[in-house]
Formats: sequence, structure tokens, C-alpha cells
Amino acid sequence: MISSNLRRLALKGALACAFAVTVALPALAENAVLRVSAIPDEAPTELQRKFAPLGKYLEAQTGMKVIFTPVTDYAAVVESLATKKIDLAWLGGFTFVQAKIRTNGTAIPIAQREEDAKFTSKFITADPAIKSLSDLKGKTFAFGSPSSTSGSLMPRFFLQQAGINPEKDFKNVAFSGAHDATVAFVAAGKVEAGVLNASVWDKLVETRKVDTAKVRVFATTPPYFDYNWTVRGDLDPALIKKLTDAFLKLDPANPEHKEILALQRAAKFIPTQKENYDGIEKAAYSAGLLK
Amino acid sequence: MLLKSTARDPAFRGRLNAAIIVLLVLWPLLQTAEVKPGALFDAGNLTVIGNFLAAFLPPETGSEFLGYLGKATLETLAIATAGLALAFLLAVPMGYLVSGAGREHPTLNPLSRSLLTILRGIPELVWALVLVRVFGLGPAAGVLALGLTYGGMLAKVYAEILESVDATPARALRQNGASRPLAMLYGLLPQASKELASYTVYRWECAIRASVVMGFVGAGGLGQLMDQAMKMLNGGEAATILFVFMLLVFAADGFSGWLRRALDTPPAHRSSPFGWRSGGFMLALLLSVSASFHMLDIGFGALFSLESATSISQFVASFFPPDLSAEWLAKVAKGIWETLAISIVGTLLAAVLGLLLALPKPRAPFTLLLNTLRSVPELVWATITVLAVGLGPFAGVLALALHTAGVLGRLYGEAFANTPPTAARALRQAGAPAVVVFLYGTLPGAAPQLVAYTLYRWEMNIRMAAILGFVGAGGLGQHLYFELSLFHYAQASTVIIAMLALSIAVDQVSAGLRRWMQ
Repeated sequence: MISSNLRRLALKGALACAFAVTVALPALAENAVLRVSAIPDEAPTELQRKFAPLGKYLEAQTGMKVIFTPVTDYAAVVESLATKKIDLAWLGGFTFVQAKIRTNGTAIPIAQREEDAKFTSKFITADPAIKSLSDLKGKTFAFGSPSSTSGSLMPRFFLQQAGINPEKDFKNVAFSGAHDATVAFVAAGKVEAGVLNASVWDKLVETRKVDTAKVRVFATTPPYFDYNWTVRGDLDPALIKKLTDAFLKLDPANPEHKEILALQRAAKFIPTQKENYDGIEKAAYSAGLLK
Repeated sequence: MLLKSTARDPAFRGRLNAAIIVLLVLWPLLQTAEVKPGALFDAGNLTVIGNFLAAFLPPETGSEFLGYLGKATLETLAIATAGLALAFLLAVPMGYLVSGAGREHPTLNPLSRSLLTILRGIPELVWALVLVRVFGLGPAAGVLALGLTYGGMLAKVYAEILESVDATPARALRQNGASRPLAMLYGLLPQASKELASYTVYRWECAIRASVVMGFVGAGGLGQLMDQAMKMLNGGEAATILFVFMLLVFAADGFSGWLRRALDTPPAHRSSPFGWRSGGFMLALLLSVSASFHMLDIGFGALFSLESATSISQFVASFFPPDLSAEWLAKVAKGIWETLAISIVGTLLAAVLGLLLALPKPRAPFTLLLNTLRSVPELVWATITVLAVGLGPFAGVLALALHTAGVLGRLYGEAFANTPPTAARALRQAGAPAVVVFLYGTLPGAAPQLVAYTLYRWEMNIRMAAILGFVGAGGLGQHLYFELSLFHYAQASTVIIAMLALSIAVDQVSAGLRRWMQ
């Protein structure tokens, strides 16, 4: 008797689960929503904070509902753009190249910050003995995300040109995942040196989030093209035009726009094109990150 | 001094030889795993971990953060519940196909058997990492990853449970012309239902722990917050998240224990199949499963569209053929060896720690310690041990050892409690000291059980060791994370195959060892 009741319980459970799954299938509503994401080069909470006023501005400019999805994985943003799960994305130079490849060249970069045309990376350390790139041999070292332009690809490329192979010459390589995390790694001594993008470094210095008496920059890369806003190519051309104009219209003289630009750490947005990122693509092949 | 006298220990020489042989075998493993206990006391490392732990106080209690935390906690529960519901739906038909139960000639279905092995052999974190790419951002990937891995595990265990119960009633039914489903329904399920339900509830508890880990690859929930806090070395936030997480695990543990005890209650004598308990339980189950799916807002509809079918098949196709170049294979082989070393050394260290923690009395503080150790998943321990001993495999060994010691300590304690006390009592009455009573009275009786538990954990740990590299703790994981990040699917494919092969090999070795010990 005992087990017969329990058998019923088990069967009912099975039916209940089957039913629940069927009931729970949500319908997908897809009217006039602009889905936006960004590579998580900083903490997702920080990205959301930075995006809020820009999102409102884009809603006003396009008349669409703007939904921002934060993620923790760079590659997920690229893949989501390729599988059309998002419409607009803030990409790094290298993630743009990946997106271009994965969408068979259809992804379109629409705007970049003035600063992105000559972007640099900073090598940082808390170890007084490290004074140049060649001192890094045999040390532990942190990149940002493997797919980061300024936190992985370009530094790797310039390290290679300086005769350093990260896999062979470093004692241990860590991927902190984000630029601010790299600073935390170095400041805490989890790694002996690291590299991050100049813009995030400057922000952390300005807001005193890093103790510059302890952590210092000992090398800077030559400039290269970095971040942009990219749309997927099969979006309505009228909408692409609206979005592009919206970015280019942002005017530092307008106080409301000034706040948006300040949060994006941009003097202003300028047009950009695919060809700007050819140099990064070459660097990626030569550093072995593209095959 | 005690053991030095061969008169007192007739087996001394044999044991010493065995110990030496074990040490000789272990030596290369210890080298590979870079076991350097000194690193724990290295001044630099002590400051790093000390500063991090000091930042635990005060825990973060800002209202904005608590808001995120509350939402993430609910999301974690929802991922675990929805994932297990999915696993259950997969496991029932697969278990039915795979099981030899209720068949007149037990034919093992090789196709579904190997499907199950693949589902189980690839760690859920790897599934999640891959599925995040296919199904986009958010918890859908976590739910599906749990559904697939746990579906495989449940199906295997369901099949085994059904095979292990008395087959006579089912055989009688079949010989009287009943079909296999009916024979199983009326001949086998009644005997097995309690064990089946109990295991399912236990898996739900595991799913909560696993869903936290899934957040580390962006599948939402508490893990995503924890990953952020750990990366930013934000001790205050980490402390609050860990605290909430442990509360959740303890609550799930208590709840699942209560549910399993409830299964022991004899049913009331009444004609209605639904009492208040089973009726209420069913309602709660239905509500929580549908609420979970609702909250996660998973677009399953989109999963079955032609477009996503094409993109999924393209995605899967890009993993073939795997990169089998000599250079890459050499790298992967090194990763395999390191993963193996981490799993073996970590499990052995856990066995020693677990044994030490299983013995002292009174039990209460040690039970709490064991529960705490085991409620924190390996990957979370690894983020902490990486700070304590630096990046590399030793951090992985410690992370495995800490979590597993919690699990094994508890199991060892139960094994000792179940060992017949006669031998120990006889020795004690003969005047033997406590150590000798334990070594010669209690230990031999419990040893087979202890060894079986340890080997069983080793099978789990090899899967874990394979992914610890995600947080810099050595092994194959870092290769996989790196290659997947860069869309080098041919290389990632080799790593996943290596993980699968490794876990299958360890399962075989462990099963072989257990048979040999019997």
C-alpha cells in the first residue's frame, strides 16, 4: 500500500512537470524593441549605470523600447549579434572583427568615440623591480578577457614584437575578465603585472579607485583603433541611419548630452568604417588569436 | 612509538611497504599538481588572502546591492527548479530505454547508453558555456545545461534503481502477457518509487549548488554576482553573497531531508488517491516549476524555429573536425595529466581531512564545519584558494580538497556509525589504547565503505578538476575557456573530447578498483 501511494505520487509528479513546462512556454513579443548589449569590459553593474541615460536618449530618438542586457562573457555578445538576438552592441576592435567574420561581413560599425581612433593599453605593476616589458619574463601576468582588444590582443601583439611569448615566458597567465578586475588583481598582488585599456585606467585614477603610489604604469602600447557601436547588417536601413545620427548628434555643449558623453568617456562620437579595423585583424592573425 | 613494534602490529611490514609504493606512485602526481604547502605561508600570499578576508567585514548591505542579491537568489532557485524539471522530462524516457528492467532478455541499448555517457561526462559548466553561445544571453543556457547533464545522471540512476529491485513481480506480469511499460508500472515502480523520488530530490539540492557555478560563465543567478565580486576582490560583497548562498544550500538541504523523511510516512487508509499532503505537494510543485519557467522567460518557442535550428547545426558543425595537430594534442595531453593529478591529489587530501574531521567528538561543531565546507562549490573555493596560494594547479587541489573533505567527512562519519562495534569493543575490553582500537577494531570494518565513497568522489572530482582552470586553478579548463572565447571551436572540441575521455576512463578505473576491493 505504501509504495502504491508513492507510485501515484511519482506519476503525478511526472504529469505535473510535463504540464508546467507546456504552460510556461512564453510567447515572444517582438514589436519595436531595440535590444542592446555591450562587451563586459567593466563590471556589469557599472555598464548598466553607464548605459541608463544613453538608453533613454536612444528611446527618444528612435521611438523604440530599448532593452539593455548585461553579460559577463565577451564572446556571448558577438555570438548574440551573429544569431540576431541583439540589434546594437558596444564592441571592442577585436570583438568587432570577430563579429564581422561571424556575420559574413554584414555587421556595420556606425560610430566610435573620438578617443577610439588612437587608443592605447597600459602595462601596470606593483612590483618595483619591473621597469620594462623585458622584466616581465618569469612573472605572473593578467590579461583582461581573452577576447579583449586592449586587454589581450593588442598587448599580446606588442609583447610579441618585444620578443615575449606570453605562453612560454610568463610564469602563469590569468584572464581577469575585465579591465577593472585586472587592476584589482595587480593591486592585491594576485599577479605581478597586468595590462588594461588606457581609458579605464584613467577613470580609475581620476576617481581614486586605484592607489597610484602602489600600482604604476611602466609601459604603454602604440595607438590603435578600438571600440565602436555596431549594428547587425539586416536591420532596417532607416533605423540604422536614425541610430547613427543619434550618436553623431550628441553635443558636449548640451548639458543633457554632456552627461551621456561623460559616462561613455567620450569627447564626442565620430563616424567609423570597417576598414579602420583591418589593422587589428592583421594583428589578431599574427598573434594567433584568429586562425 | 606504538606502531614501531612489530610485535604489536603483525601487519606492520606489509603496511609500510604499501605506504612506500603509494608514495612512489604519488610523487610524480604531487610534482605535477605543484603541491607546495609552503605557498600557504608565503608572506605575499598571506597578505593577499588576509586583505581579501579582512574585507569580508563588514558584509555589504547597501539596498541596491541587496536588491540585486534578492533577484539573483530567486533566479538561482528558478534555474535549479526549471533545470531539474527539464532533466526529469529527459530522464524518464531515456531511463526507460536504457534500463534492462522489465525486459525478458536484458539487452543493453548501446545507442542510448552512450548518449547518457556523453551527457553525463561533459561537465554542466561546459554545456552552459557552449549553450550560452547558442541560446544567447541569460539563464536559458543554465537551465538547458542542467537539464542535459542532470537528465543523463537521473536516467542512469533511474535505470539502475529499476534494475536493482526485485524483478519477480514484473516477470510474472510479463509472462501473463502484460506489455513492458505496464509490467514496469505495476511490477517495479511500486518498489522503487521511494528511492526514485528521494534521488530526484537530492539532485534538486545539487542543482542549486550547480546553478550557482553556472553563473560563472554568464548564465545568471547568484554565481554571476559572486563571479563579479570575486574578480573585483570585493570582500564585502563576496561575504554577503557567500552567506546568502550558504543559507540557501542549508535550506535546500533541510527541505530535501524533510521531503525524503515524508516519504517514509505510511499513507492514510482512504480511497482517494490524493491526501492533503500529496495534493498540496503536487500543487506546490506545479506552481514552483511554472513560476520558475515564467520568471526566467525562456523563449523555448524560439528554440524550435527553423532559424535557430540552422544556427545550432552550424554551431555544432563548427566543432568538427577537432584539431588533432601534434602541437595542440601535446598541449591538451599536458592539460589532461595536470587535471588527473589535481583530481587524485585533491581527493586523497580530502580523504585525509575528511577522516580527521569525521572522528572527533562531540560531533556538533564538526558537523557544522563539514556542512560549511561542502556547501561552498569547488569553483568558489578555487577563487579563494587562488588568492591563498597563487594561480596554478595547487589552488585547484586545495579547492577540491576543501569541498570534498566536507562531503567525505559526513559520509565517513555515517560509515563509522554503521560499522558493527563488536570488534572495537573486544579490543577495548582487552585493554588496547584508543588508537589501536580504531585502527584494528573500527577501521577494517568500515574500510570498504570508505574506499567506495572516496572512489565515487574521485569520479565526480575529475569532472570538477577539468573546469577549475576557468578561475586560474590549473588543468584543462583554461584551454577550453580561452579557445571558446576566441571561437576556436576545432581546438575547443579537442579539449571537450579529452574531458569526456578522461571522465569515462576514471569511471572505468574506479569501477574496476571497487570490484577488485570486494
